[in-house]
Amino acid sequence: MKKKNWYGKVGLCVLLFVLAFSLATQLAAIAQDKPTVEQPAEAPQVVGSNLGVSGKLGQALAKAPAGTGPGQIDVNAPKGAFGIPGAPQVSYLLAILWATWVGWIFSTVGAFGGIMAGVGHMTVYGLGNYAKTFSKTAPTLNKTLTDSIRTSNQFLVGLSALISTINYLKAKRLAWPLGIALALGSIAGAVFIPILTGGKISFRQYQGWFGVFVFTVGGVLLYELTPKGQEGKKAAKAAAQAFEKSVKEKKDLVSDGITLKKFGITKSTFTFFGTDFNFNPVWAFVGGLVIAAISSFIGVGGGFLYVPYLTSIVGAPMYVVAGTSAMAVLVSMVTSIAGYITVAKAGMDWGLIGIELVGIFVGSMIGPRTQKYIPDKWLKIIFVILAFYVGLRYFSAGFFGQSWVP
Amino acid sequence: MNLYATIDSILINLYRVTGNPLSDYFVGTFLLALLCVIVGELTISVVFRINKSHLDRLNSRVVKMQELSSEALQRGDEESYRACNKVGNDAFGHLFFNKFGLAAASLWPIFLALAWMQERFIGIGLPLPWIGWEINYVLFYILCYIPARILFGRMKPRLPYFRSVNQMLQAYEKSAAGQK
Repeated sequence: MKKKNWYGKVGLCVLLFVLAFSLATQLAAIAQDKPTVEQPAEAPQVVGSNLGVSGKLGQALAKAPAGTGPGQIDVNAPKGAFGIPGAPQVSYLLAILWATWVGWIFSTVGAFGGIMAGVGHMTVYGLGNYAKTFSKTAPTLNKTLTDSIRTSNQFLVGLSALISTINYLKAKRLAWPLGIALALGSIAGAVFIPILTGGKISFRQYQGWFGVFVFTVGGVLLYELTPKGQEGKKAAKAAAQAFEKSVKEKKDLVSDGITLKKFGITKSTFTFFGTDFNFNPVWAFVGGLVIAAISSFIGVGGGFLYVPYLTSIVGAPMYVVAGTSAMAVLVSMVTSIAGYITVAKAGMDWGLIGIELVGIFVGSMIGPRTQKYIPDKWLKIIFVILAFYVGLRYFSAGFFGQSWVP
Repeated sequence: MNLYATIDSILINLYRVTGNPLSDYFVGTFLLALLCVIVGELTISVVFRINKSHLDRLNSRVVKMQELSSEALQRGDEESYRACNKVGNDAFGHLFFNKFGLAAASLWPIFLALAWMQERFIGIGLPLPWIGWEINYVLFYILCYIPARILFGRMKPRLPYFRSVNQMLQAYEKSAAGQK
């Protein structure tokens, strides 16, 4: 089918390009960043052992200064988050309550739940402030803790894809040719980011980029509230309703699924309901790579980018977009998490993730029951304000070293 | 005795079945994985019973838009096809994030089991013959979880409570996939 709204595609391409370019610029700066060696007047005593913590986190702990002050490891203190002595002890009650709020948002507003999960790890549980204390005294520990925080974020927001993919797989609703090209790109992006940035991103840099991401999501929510954003949705709804009325007799729409008609490096064709869909596997690969790289770097699922990419740029039908995007999210999430755990050797607090999942399913049960009492528009207004506040806070604290808002 | 110590004293019994350390590690981890599958299935059944009408409503919106979009595609009506896709995307977004609750309900025991294994088995690697690599507790647990899930899936239709849960989930999956 011909695609008329080319401007939407160009806009999305430009947005992806700008995000990719900013990310690439930042990554280049990180790659060239030579670690500065602090020369303290008196070398502090280092911990000297991994204190029972495995992987890179344990190695970084061994090199951290021992002591009771900020930026030091108190070896005699009780174990806290990630098994580190003296690290914040995340109250499981607080974790369940915060995760319930995250689950409530997932079931009412959607993607913003992922942002709030990140806010929980970084701010509410105090892990971000704790990581920051090591920025001067033990930079490697600071960066390893940052990897653990972003992997924890990705765990929480990417899991939904697992069950969805299994269901769509059973229903033969994955556009395989397109999905494979996209998934290969996703794997490349999700491998490339942990290798290039694992152990190299300080908490402040991560916080700043998370702030930029929150601003972007806030901007999308704000656009949806503007008359222009509303108009687009209303027009689509009206057109869909008009079409529904015009369909007098509904045919049996059970399809044979998707058939690959032609495969080429730059042009492939699959058939769906007798209509040919052409796509460029190279572009699908590049799209998957860029989206997975952004998702892996920030620590999010990426479904919110795959769906508009597949519908707007590739022009794929809704019937296959759902399953194909869920598969791409799953592939990139598994690759990225495996990359952080195996290549960057990020430590995980499994108990915290388990407790958070309990909170999320409690919240997702409460959400649908309470949503009817809050109008959709007000929910969006609340989250736009929250997005700009959180975005500004993280952006300023991350890139300028001081939060501009309380 | 605190909660962790109580749970620890119960779970470690799963690793004392045969008396041989290696066999016990295999059997114990498999039984732990099976326990997690059962607890996860119980939780998902509760969440599903409570939220079913809401999920059905979201599903029917998505399925309707899929059907209309396919119909528009068959008729060559590009404008309607794009409109149905756009409305369908919004509906799918809602459904996607609501399903996160279902995924969380099913998977939370895995992470608590890994947390317990981290305390008990961290540093213990299972050597692979000839290759020289070692499998750590996370990978070994995942390798046990997959057959445990398959085994429980086969057993479900024969187990009293899970039989009805299984029927309910299958009906839901069919409707979610837009199958008649």
